[in-house]
Amino acid sequence: MATIQSNQAPTAGALELTPELARKRRSQGRIILDRFLRNRVAVGGLVVLLLMVLAAIFAPFISHYDPDQYNIALQTAPPSAAHILGNDDLGRDELTRLLYGARTSLTIGITSMLVMVAIGVLVGAVAGFYGGWIDNLLMRITDGFLAVPFLIWLFTVAGIFSNGSVKDIVIIIAVFSWPITARIVRGEFLGLKEREFLLAARTLGASDARLMFWHILPNAIGPITVVATLGVGQNIIAESILSFFGFGLQKPTSSWGTMLNDSQAYITSAPILVWAPGIAILITVLCFNLIGDGMRDALDPYMTER
Amino acid sequence: MGKLLEVKDLKVQFRTREGAIHAVDGISFELEEGEALGIVGESGSGKSVTSLSILRLLPMPPAEIVDGSITFADQELLELSESEMRKIRGHEIAMIFQDPMTSLNPVLTVERQIIEPIQLHLGLNRSEAHARARALLEAVGIPDPERRLRSYPHQFSGGMRQRVMIAIAIAANPKLLIADEPTTALDVTVQAQILELINRLRRDLGTSVILITHDLGVVAGMTDRINVMYAGKIAETANTDELFANPRHPYTLGLLSAVPRLDEEAGGDLNTIPGSPPDQLHPIEGCPFQPRCPFVLPKCKDYPPALRVGPNHIAYCWVDVTDPAEQERAIARGFIPLREIGGLRQGSPASTGTGSPSNG
Repeated sequence: MATIQSNQAPTAGALELTPELARKRRSQGRIILDRFLRNRVAVGGLVVLLLMVLAAIFAPFISHYDPDQYNIALQTAPPSAAHILGNDDLGRDELTRLLYGARTSLTIGITSMLVMVAIGVLVGAVAGFYGGWIDNLLMRITDGFLAVPFLIWLFTVAGIFSNGSVKDIVIIIAVFSWPITARIVRGEFLGLKEREFLLAARTLGASDARLMFWHILPNAIGPITVVATLGVGQNIIAESILSFFGFGLQKPTSSWGTMLNDSQAYITSAPILVWAPGIAILITVLCFNLIGDGMRDALDPYMTER
Repeated sequence: MGKLLEVKDLKVQFRTREGAIHAVDGISFELEEGEALGIVGESGSGKSVTSLSILRLLPMPPAEIVDGSITFADQELLELSESEMRKIRGHEIAMIFQDPMTSLNPVLTVERQIIEPIQLHLGLNRSEAHARARALLEAVGIPDPERRLRSYPHQFSGGMRQRVMIAIAIAANPKLLIADEPTTALDVTVQAQILELINRLRRDLGTSVILITHDLGVVAGMTDRINVMYAGKIAETANTDELFANPRHPYTLGLLSAVPRLDEEAGGDLNTIPGSPPDQLHPIEGCPFQPRCPFVLPKCKDYPPALRVGPNHIAYCWVDVTDPAEQERAIARGFIPLREIGGLRQGSPASTGTGSPSNG
């Protein structure tokens, strides 16, 4: 499979592909996939992440304990054959809680990313497409969001408005994480809207919304995928920090962040209770970042030699 | 055949910090159903602005249609709302652009792009739209259309891409096709094929065509009538044969003698029109061509009235360029008489190929 994509300007006729040649020729998507797969670190991240997701989905098959089952006798018990990662302050099995916590953390990370991308794409698309005062207004609002540090926003708003449900946390994280996406999408749209194919689409009678989301957006899908992937990791951390400081999820819902919060007092007596969720967060976020970087490289048209 | 399009006294200006640029300065013309009209002129003469005004696709601001009317099929286009205009674009009037490399969306398959106007205007279901897209590719001469529908633009050569553009443009059976320099970006060998294709589709579909070009060779074999534009104004308008046989505006004469000929003496200088294109930020009083015109007279300070040469032939010039005395005067100022141009009429578009006005 040594077909090398030629980027030279085609000359008439000579480039006409015979069916055999065309079959060998890789599609754009295939080239990007190949380039991603050649990046071992990113693929490693993807594999580890998939294992994590599978473990979270099939948690009941991996551990037969109930994550909420108290056991006074096993309070902060060290790891044992029956409880590989020991038990927490209420005697619950730590591994089981880690698996079920992964469900919450991943759900929050991914859903808040989806909302974040939806808001960011909408704002960025409208700003970049229309320009002028609309762009100015939307970008000043975006700047306003970015002017106050992300975590300060989260603590303040979560402290005032959140009732600690997953839904509230997702909304709060999404509402304060979209500005970066909006800026990136706006930048892409600013460049793409001047392209001639857009004028051509206009001459066919396409409406503004159709131009934005049907004609321009597919051209910006690369950078959006990258911010989306990196966003999941960032949002998992945001949730953990909120929960660790007690502004996040409230009992009985638990995530890796709330597990960290619960184990604060035992950092010397039962350090594994801090290490376990901490490392879980670290690995997950690292995986998302590695995948995001891998995708950025794979989608970059100037990095053809990877 | 009825009147399809009537442009009347159209004035388009671009507002800039330095002042208004008079891109189109009061032009009028008509187009019959099934007719092919050529608009010829050098860069900046207002050809493309005219076509974008008809589709109401000029960026406003900075552009502004100051005056005039554009009537298409008995509708005043300048008074339509944006959504009414969208129903006309791609459905009644379609356009082909100069550079097929950039006017196709690189990330959408050809099928999705051909289906766009079909979906927007014809309301066909998926399989009907697919069948039509296939038939369209076939009609524009693309082999193996079923497979090619699934291809992306980068998998096509330049000429093939222009064929795809044409397929997209005619997808909803428009009454008027505007081709803005459709062959300028193509190899000379492909140019003739594309022109032939446009000609054939025009005959088969009865579509009216406006062909915008700076290349007199291109319009020669393609159009029924020609508007020669200069500085946002129509300098001369005539039936194609008449214009080549009996050009009456000094600018038309200049364009014709600027077409390089194959039988020209090797190493000789190419004929050019002296001077530079007009500054439309500060338009001069009277005829805009006077600084470059070998026939110039003092009274050119006033804009010339229409000189009705024949029933369909108007030149905006004070001078009768066929008058030997006037020619004598012009030759003294470096004018090259036109006897050399005779062969052009017989020339096919490809053989006269790259003829273009100076500074074009």
